[in-house]
Amino acid sequence: MSWGRFDTRTIVLIPIAIAINIVLGQTVSAALKIPIYLDSIGTILVGVLAGPIPGLVTGLLANLIWTYVLPAPFHSDYAAPFAIVAAEIGFVSGVLGQVGWFRSRPNADTARLVLGAAVVVIVLGLIGYYGFLPFYTNGTFTFFGDTSKTEPFFVIVGYLIGIGVVAAILGLIALLFVRRDLGVAYVAIGGLFCGIVSALISAPISAVVFGGVTGSGADLLVGAFQKAGSDLQTAVLQQGLLSDPIDKTIEFFIGFVILQTLSRRFVSRFPQGEKAVGLEQA
Amino acid sequence: MILADDLDPDDVERIRRLVPPTPSAYHRLNPLTKAVIATVGSIGAFAAGGYVGPIAVDLVMLFLAFRAGVLGQLGRVSLLLTLPIAISVVLVSVFTRAGTTILFTIGPFDATAEGVDFAAQTLVRLFAISLSIGLFVMTTDPRAFVFDLERRGVSPRVAFVAVATIEAVPTLVERAAVIGESQRARGLDTEGSIRARLRGVLPLVGPVIIGALTDVEERSLALESRAFSRPGRRHLLWAMPDRRWERWVRWALLALLVATAVARLTGRI
Repeated sequence: MSWGRFDTRTIVLIPIAIAINIVLGQTVSAALKIPIYLDSIGTILVGVLAGPIPGLVTGLLANLIWTYVLPAPFHSDYAAPFAIVAAEIGFVSGVLGQVGWFRSRPNADTARLVLGAAVVVIVLGLIGYYGFLPFYTNGTFTFFGDTSKTEPFFVIVGYLIGIGVVAAILGLIALLFVRRDLGVAYVAIGGLFCGIVSALISAPISAVVFGGVTGSGADLLVGAFQKAGSDLQTAVLQQGLLSDPIDKTIEFFIGFVILQTLSRRFVSRFPQGEKAVGLEQA
Repeated sequence: MILADDLDPDDVERIRRLVPPTPSAYHRLNPLTKAVIATVGSIGAFAAGGYVGPIAVDLVMLFLAFRAGVLGQLGRVSLLLTLPIAISVVLVSVFTRAGTTILFTIGPFDATAEGVDFAAQTLVRLFAISLSIGLFVMTTDPRAFVFDLERRGVSPRVAFVAVATIEAVPTLVERAAVIGESQRARGLDTEGSIRARLRGVLPLVGPVIIGALTDVEERSLALESRAFSRPGRRHLLWAMPDRRWERWVRWALLALLVATAVARLTGRI
């Protein structure tokens, strides 16, 4: 396990990565008002290309610079408290890049694709059924039991989570088989993991510093969960565990696609580039 | 290494002529002092909690802004930046926070006194953060801050990253505008229905990111040819003045912050 290196190429990549984070993050969360952020794509790229420590440093610096150095209109007062979350995202993508989870695995045979799809379905299903459903519906809701005693809100949330999980599974399987690229399965599991960890770290920060809201579309969810009887800490965590895995999975995919688009020669010159995209392709 | 305090009087005079005069005494403070004021203000408001601490921070920052002559600007920017998040805070906590004292009811939502109290506390805290940081950003040249940090021993590579980011963000936006126009010239629909606009996202974002990343190659070659990665310290030709009393102010503020945090944790405030 290497922690990564800061060569000149990496140092030059970091400001550009931070700029990508800030410009995309500002546009998506402020303009579209959807409960995802898309503000870590640059951090993910540095982590994958240069290693866990450069990824961590990029995330940390990105949020500190966003608050302390950058003048308006791209300045944000509220990024610095979340610097630790950004650092975690960079670190996780660095580790995953090093073990080759961002590699494209094209032309996989059907048996392996089915195996990959099965793993994704099982992981998503287990997390959804045993982790998410009880947490979001007070443990009173199952898809198969009697729902007459459960509050309507929990029934709706339960079914929405169910539909979301099924849609995510179908989408991933479609991607797997259309692209015939087993890498999709790895990226999906990685994004899910990174998202869950991010939600666990960021929820207390958001609840304690900002009263649970961040001025983005995610606030609606916090309000809804609080209305349903959760206290603030729980409501924020419930919102985060819903938004973050989706957000990080999408961001990991965008990073994955960007890595495939960049020329092999370019990628392989970064400290971890060969490991990230695979030697035979580099 | 030469500290600003050890500079020759002649050199001090020369630096004074090179650096244009700043509008106010607050602007002329060492960047680190202003950064410490901003950090202690925002973390302190949060550490003190309740109403008294954050409102005190608000008032101090507004007074400093008045002395620096940026009161109107700071008030406007701070309100503008805090407004969207403030609306969310008020709506979410007033109407959905559980509580026993119900003030009034709109549809299925009860406004509770506990919610109003919580929203008000969050708002004074958010303003304290926004005013502290806003005052710092308005009165400090980011480059001066970064170079001052480098003089104090922060790695020149970190300094490069910070300064390069200031340049990179507007460059990226400019590039996005150029690519947007050229894609439109090729017939991309960016002003139609939401579906059409969503379909336009990829042809816009893709080339922007790939193009920016491709620049890395040229830039790192350019830096290498100018001895960027040579070991040892860089000698800065320009230093921000740092006075002895400013150093005392910084340590005093940090001590105050620690004292506040300890008092809060031990339940004294």
